[in-house]
Amino acid sequence: MGEIKHVLGIFATYLGQYFKTRLAYRTDFFGELVSNLINELINLVFIVVVFQHVPLLNDWTRDEIIFIYGFFLIPYALFSMFFGFWDFNERYIIRGEMDRVLTRPLHNLAQVCLESIAPDRIFGVITGLIIMGYAAIQLDLSFTWYDPFLFVGLVVSGMLIYGGVYTAIAAISFFSDSRTGISPMIWNIQQYGRYPVDVYNKVIRFVLTYVLPFAFVGVYPAAYFLRKETWYAYAAFTPVVGIVFFSIGLVVWNWGVRKYSGAGS
Amino acid sequence: MIQVNHLQKEFRIHQARAGLGGAFRDLFSREYKTVKAVDDLSFSVEEGEMFALIGENGAGKSTTIKMLTGILNPSGGEIVINGFVPQKQREDYVRSIGVVFGQRSQLWWDLSPLESFRLLKSVYKVEEHEGQRWLDRLIEELDIGSFVSQPVRKLSLGQRMRCEVAAALIHKPRLLFLDEPTVGLDVLVKQKIREFLRNLNDTEHMTILLTTHDVTDIEALCKRVLVMDKGKLIFDGLLENLKEKWGNGTEVAFQFKKRTSAEELRTVLGELPCEIIRENDFALRVKVSRSQEMLPFVLSTVMASFDISDVKIMEASTEDIVRNIYSTDSEVVSHG
Repeated sequence: MGEIKHVLGIFATYLGQYFKTRLAYRTDFFGELVSNLINELINLVFIVVVFQHVPLLNDWTRDEIIFIYGFFLIPYALFSMFFGFWDFNERYIIRGEMDRVLTRPLHNLAQVCLESIAPDRIFGVITGLIIMGYAAIQLDLSFTWYDPFLFVGLVVSGMLIYGGVYTAIAAISFFSDSRTGISPMIWNIQQYGRYPVDVYNKVIRFVLTYVLPFAFVGVYPAAYFLRKETWYAYAAFTPVVGIVFFSIGLVVWNWGVRKYSGAGS
Repeated sequence: MIQVNHLQKEFRIHQARAGLGGAFRDLFSREYKTVKAVDDLSFSVEEGEMFALIGENGAGKSTTIKMLTGILNPSGGEIVINGFVPQKQREDYVRSIGVVFGQRSQLWWDLSPLESFRLLKSVYKVEEHEGQRWLDRLIEELDIGSFVSQPVRKLSLGQRMRCEVAAALIHKPRLLFLDEPTVGLDVLVKQKIREFLRNLNDTEHMTILLTTHDVTDIEALCKRVLVMDKGKLIFDGLLENLKEKWGNGTEVAFQFKKRTSAEELRTVLGELPCEIIRENDFALRVKVSRSQEMLPFVLSTVMASFDISDVKIMEASTEDIVRNIYSTDSEVVSHG
């Protein structure tokens, strides 16, 4: 527990210093702020245009689907901010930066995350909130006082699911000495979490719930806020899935690091 | 401080068969070849020593460093450093060491070095007041004060490297590893870093291990040298002894006032094992292999017997010696 607190403290310090540094170079900062917002705005327009052409999918209205999509963007943005080591194989294994990481008294995954952190991805959260807000108004949703807390909990859980799966896949680099294209693989699969699972056939639904539980990043938790009571049990289960999958990722990672150090051979 | 006994590291390397058919067979049964990267390495280092580990590329240097820093686990033998066994107590052990990899950066690109230092301080849980005093001293001695607040990406290599050294020392380690710290640096920066290291060794009694291809680094910093070749330690001793062992010896060039032949010189020197080379009628060179014992004798005898107008002593440079070591095969047996 002390270790987790230590790690979180260091992340907070880093982000604080990052944005402080950014603010010090004011013109740069505002330039990037504007370009990031424009980027997100283009995404937004694109999404709205696409969904204009989507009628009703299996009992889900268009606005509900937009809401799910908006929700999904938030854990995804946080995930891509904290787990930005898409070039892990190249940078840490082939170029050997992992060696340096191993000479520091902080968990090596935390260090890798900290070194590849992409704080600008935080803007994705804003886009997600705007989309959700728009959909919520259209749907005339109402929220209780504890919903914001549940929201934060569900978002963090969603991030941990992605983080866990991604970490486990990145850890493959420890075992194989060839270049592995992990990012395209993840990219393909993560697309599925954005849409209601019951539009897919049974097999995919099973996979998205139990094997690569990306449905827990978007649909299930969002269904809670849409007051779809059939999915409540799944939504409630989200934090458990988050913790379990992140733990799996961590175990695979640690195993990989031991292999890297040559404990096994 | 450092105790290394019979250290071994073996790698299993997959031997790919030739051709497409071979590749197909590889899918089912793989052939491995065991390579000994480090073979029966033993040495010990006292606290406060400054020593260099040298060897050709592929001699097992980096594998050794990786085992000493706890990155790799040895396949045999044992290492005890600062009372820790690196691969078993890694997290505690790495708190007591600092590592600078010349080719890799440990500073955050988007932050200023000062902010990276602050982050590293919290990584190592450095005590605030004491840590700040130490950091102030590092900044002053490495002369990095004028640019520590600029983002790392705006610094030159020399500026960055000095910051890297400071970053590796933030927690005041007792042992510092430097893996090719001066690659690509200009002479002035090299000198600054060396001066700083020497001073650190003097005042803090910090143990420093250096691996390098730059012979001037070794000459400037280290008394003791370890030489590795093909995974084995082939030399462990003082730099001067290294020169005696692998140097081509010392040459003394005498300029005579009168015509002197090699035979005349030989008679004077008697049975002394040395080589006499004739340059011209007035100049002869005497080459001795062990300078410490023979040089005084040669000088005094020749000066007493002939009229000499000029004497030049030419000692083999460390660079020549290292070249010699690298080019001779490892037939030479190690000594203690």
